[in-house]
Amino acid sequence: MAENVLEIRGLSKSFGSTRANIGIDFTLQKGEIHGLIGENGSGKSTLISQIAGLYAPDSGEMRLFSESYAPRSPLEANESRVSMVVQELGVVSSLPAGVNVYLGRTKLFSKFGLVSIKKLNQAANDEFEKWDLPKVGLHELADGMLIENRKMIELARAMSVDPEVLILDEITQSLSYNNRNKLYELLKKFKAMERSAIVITHDVEELIQITDRITVLRDGEVAGVLESANTTADEVKQLMVGREISGEYYRSDNEPDYDETAPVLTVNGVSVAGEIEDVSFEVHKGEILGFCGISDSGIHAIGKAVYGLEKLSAGEVLLNGKPLKSPTKALASNMAYVPKDRDNDALMMQASIWENLALPSTTELTGKMCFISPGKLRSTAQSVAEKMTVKCRDIYQPMSDLSGGNKQKVNFGRWLAKDIKLLILDCPTRGVDVGVKAYLYSLMKEAKKNGIATILISDELTEVLGMSDRLCVMKNGKLVTIIPRGDGFTEHSLIKVMV
Amino acid sequence: MKKLKIKTGDLVPFAALIVIFAFFAITSNGKIFSGYNLMLLLDQSMVTILLGLGMLFVVSQGSIDLSVGVNLALSGVVGTYVANIVGGWAFIPVCLIVGLVVGVFNGVMVARFKVNSFMLTISMLIGVRGIVNYIQEGLMKATGYGSQYLPESMLFLGNSTTRLIIFIVVLAIMAYLFEFTKLGRYGKAIGENETAAKNVGVPIKTMKILAFAISGLLAGLGGVFSVAKLGSTNQTMGVFQEMQTAMAVFLGGVLVTGGASAKIYKVVLGSISITLIVNGLAVIGKAESHISQSVEGIILLIILFITILVNNGGVQRFLHRKKNQELQ
Amino acid sequence: MGSNTKKNLITAGVFIVCLAAGLLLFNIVSGGKFLTADNIPVVLSHIVYPAFTAWGLSFLFACGYTDMSVGGVVVLAAFASNIFGNKFGYIGVIIPGIIVGTLLIFINFNIFAYTKIPSWIASISLAMIYEAFGFFLKTNSSTKQLVITPLNRDYRAIGQLGPSLILLAVGFILAYIIYNRTTIGLNIRAIGGNKEVAKAMGVNVNKTLLWVGVLAGLFIGVAAVIQLSYSGTLTVKTGLTSMSMIFQPLAIVLLAQILQKRINITIAIPICSLIIYSIFNLLTILHVPSGTLQEACLGAFLIIFAIIGQRKSKGVVK
Repeated sequence: MAENVLEIRGLSKSFGSTRANIGIDFTLQKGEIHGLIGENGSGKSTLISQIAGLYAPDSGEMRLFSESYAPRSPLEANESRVSMVVQELGVVSSLPAGVNVYLGRTKLFSKFGLVSIKKLNQAANDEFEKWDLPKVGLHELADGMLIENRKMIELARAMSVDPEVLILDEITQSLSYNNRNKLYELLKKFKAMERSAIVITHDVEELIQITDRITVLRDGEVAGVLESANTTADEVKQLMVGREISGEYYRSDNEPDYDETAPVLTVNGVSVAGEIEDVSFEVHKGEILGFCGISDSGIHAIGKAVYGLEKLSAGEVLLNGKPLKSPTKALASNMAYVPKDRDNDALMMQASIWENLALPSTTELTGKMCFISPGKLRSTAQSVAEKMTVKCRDIYQPMSDLSGGNKQKVNFGRWLAKDIKLLILDCPTRGVDVGVKAYLYSLMKEAKKNGIATILISDELTEVLGMSDRLCVMKNGKLVTIIPRGDGFTEHSLIKVMV
Repeated sequence: MKKLKIKTGDLVPFAALIVIFAFFAITSNGKIFSGYNLMLLLDQSMVTILLGLGMLFVVSQGSIDLSVGVNLALSGVVGTYVANIVGGWAFIPVCLIVGLVVGVFNGVMVARFKVNSFMLTISMLIGVRGIVNYIQEGLMKATGYGSQYLPESMLFLGNSTTRLIIFIVVLAIMAYLFEFTKLGRYGKAIGENETAAKNVGVPIKTMKILAFAISGLLAGLGGVFSVAKLGSTNQTMGVFQEMQTAMAVFLGGVLVTGGASAKIYKVVLGSISITLIVNGLAVIGKAESHISQSVEGIILLIILFITILVNNGGVQRFLHRKKNQELQ
Repeated sequence: MGSNTKKNLITAGVFIVCLAAGLLLFNIVSGGKFLTADNIPVVLSHIVYPAFTAWGLSFLFACGYTDMSVGGVVVLAAFASNIFGNKFGYIGVIIPGIIVGTLLIFINFNIFAYTKIPSWIASISLAMIYEAFGFFLKTNSSTKQLVITPLNRDYRAIGQLGPSLILLAVGFILAYIIYNRTTIGLNIRAIGGNKEVAKAMGVNVNKTLLWVGVLAGLFIGVAAVIQLSYSGTLTVKTGLTSMSMIFQPLAIVLLAQILQKRINITIAIPICSLIIYSIFNLLTILHVPSGTLQEACLGAFLIIFAIIGQRKSKGVVK
């Protein structure tokens, strides 16, 4: 039995009401490449972030080489020789590539206060050569570099601490074929040095190929640990999905149910530079059209493009046959958009609840001579708050006082005060508890019954499967296929197309 | 349902005004309350309030307009110049148009070209002042004196009652626009969270241009008032006025970041406070500019600090938490 | 690496050619009055103060702060140099000025950091206070004489062309090294680039910010000493007119920021300083009145530079 480098026992972490990690047990052996896989929101990133010192666990313990390990920052993790390439964080674009490799540790190369850029770049260059990484211009600012090269800088940075444990979070998806192979070589070399790595990727086949063992996470818990040599992609996917879709929660019917003759919105060959390419679809009266795809698939750009928030490089969006170009026009045409990031992109956190609730209805409540009665705004807001059972002392409370679920009720509910025709929902149940979730689904069903066309974009597969009439699957900014509700509506079939 | 809800932040401008009033009432032995002085105070604060009303539209969106002082000077100088050529009737319209044009220019630069409003209006402060000085120097060379006189037909504006009536009408219109129309509501939404406002469908660019346009228009009106009060233009017209106005707005408790904290009454209170500081220092015989300037600077810092503390969670959130605890 | 150096050399070459062509063009436009033995020293001696101020400002801007009180600080630092210079000679000229400049900007940064008031408005309040204090020194009976007596001619060599150009070279080397070759400089740039990443990589943000105050203050203090040595005395400004002292440096920094992608900003600053002053010198030669139309040009330049600098950035602009 190989020695355990990292041992994790009963690790738990919650963010507000969301339990991201629940009692996770995990072991990493010496000289092992360990895969970590799970759906979005299954808790992978939370787990590795705790290992890398980005945040501390609520409970449970970690042991590194049999000693207690509780890093308070990535720098401390580095000192224990644990390093990570994060999915989103990236590099400082205003600094040269070489400096980025050693940022925060430039003192290593300074003498009398002067940093020797020559020595620093030499050391960075050594790292690149040691691991045979594709060369980047170390003197050049990271600003203009390709994402791939930026990833290489991050990788060199992670390798430069001479790690015993290396964590790679979805790094392969931004690499080209050649560089993927270089990364595989690096991992082999790393393994040969009796070092250990944790690799996260959405690509199941790749994961089986390059790892020794795979831990599958589901809903914040460990669903199973598999030996890569003795498993199949299907088995992994099976474990990832695992659960049954509960009937009551979502829709109970099993086929599409909408008015096919009445398209509300037509999207014709729409492209947004760097986001989506040549996407066409229609949404009909009373239809819920789902969108799913892995990260960077472009699903979130769909919502923005339809609401006029993105500049289209090609194509057009037609609402009832008329072109739609700006969010202002979308608002006036009785469309509604609920963005994914409610705190930053949707709500005015310092303003009162009623001001948030009344904002989309401002036009409807404008009378003669542009007069808007504050009383009317407040009473409209009051009735929405009551209908949605927003838990607050009164509607004059600042928005920031509310819990995540109640914020989402405001974010969603304020549109239902209007006579809307098209509803765009981007991850509407992100980070809300089960009760609010069920309530939001019931609102979607009600909207559907009232003939509102809905575009439902979500990272959660079960959600789009449970609610959609038809489901658009996106990959690399392109619309791959549209599956109608029915027998094809399983997570297995979706993951096959998505990944 | 309670109709009115007083926030701690809303009390700051009242408290500030009362403290300042009390301070000068004591130090001046009540002289500050003389009928003459109160009239003077009102007359002095009118221009600041006018410019402040315009600036409020801009500040509520989280931007700033520091060009109102030079805009006032340009409008006044050009307006008087044109009026002296084509006739007195042209004075008011030309002032307003010049102000409006500068305002729209600012708005387009901020909304369309995404220039930071502070950088832009500071640049305008330099550039437009240069133009104003150029015009006045030209006049100096041509006529021998730098000031121009208002045509006789317009001298009725010199009467402070006339100006007071105009002032009240404009105040009412602005209050209406700001509190009871989309312009005000959407503006505050932009100040609170521009991304959120955009995602809802608020026409950001239009609203920004309109806000700067109103600010410009009122600066033009400020030009009318300034020239009318003295009967002529002068070299120092509008100098420091933009700072006086910005201070009035912030002294009134409007947050620099804009949003729901922006209220008409705050501008009025803030303008009176700032005028009172200048006026009060004069009454108690400490009118030297450096004293009033450092007093203004220190008070501004303190008030800004208190406003931020009160609005952004310090005191207010503390009180809320206490209340919540009591409720539970 | 090789191609990189080559690319840099080409950029530098192209730039020098453009600059030379520009200056020649100026000469032609001015009817041969620009590149004359009399005028060249005038131009050179006028780029030192704005360059130092611009270096100071560029450190502030690098981490996202604006300071409008720099003019007021320069006046007070110059007063200190003036008073002590007349008493103690060169040591009195140099050290008190630099200390006062550094101290005041350091105080400013503490105020920005702890009160959370946006730096532009907080610094305007501070400018008012500094101006008023300057005015107090100039009018108060006990200090009046000290301040209005110009700096003794014997101690004004720093303001002469030769020494001030040497100082420019020293300042340039210092700025370049701090910006590119010290941990603090690299950390400042990291914070300006992406605060979150910098933090995650172990950069101590608060400590770095206070260092910015010290470094920027140092350059601004030197700027004050140079300006005083050049002109002998500084006029006191009130009513926020001290802000006008940073408009030209501001234009320089904005222009340098535009060139930043191609030329290191510390190098770009003296070059931009030369360009900007040359433009105003040309305007003067062409009899464009200063204080009026030249100011209008300065305002226009600032707006144009701001537009170009802003062109590619997305997101919310206030």
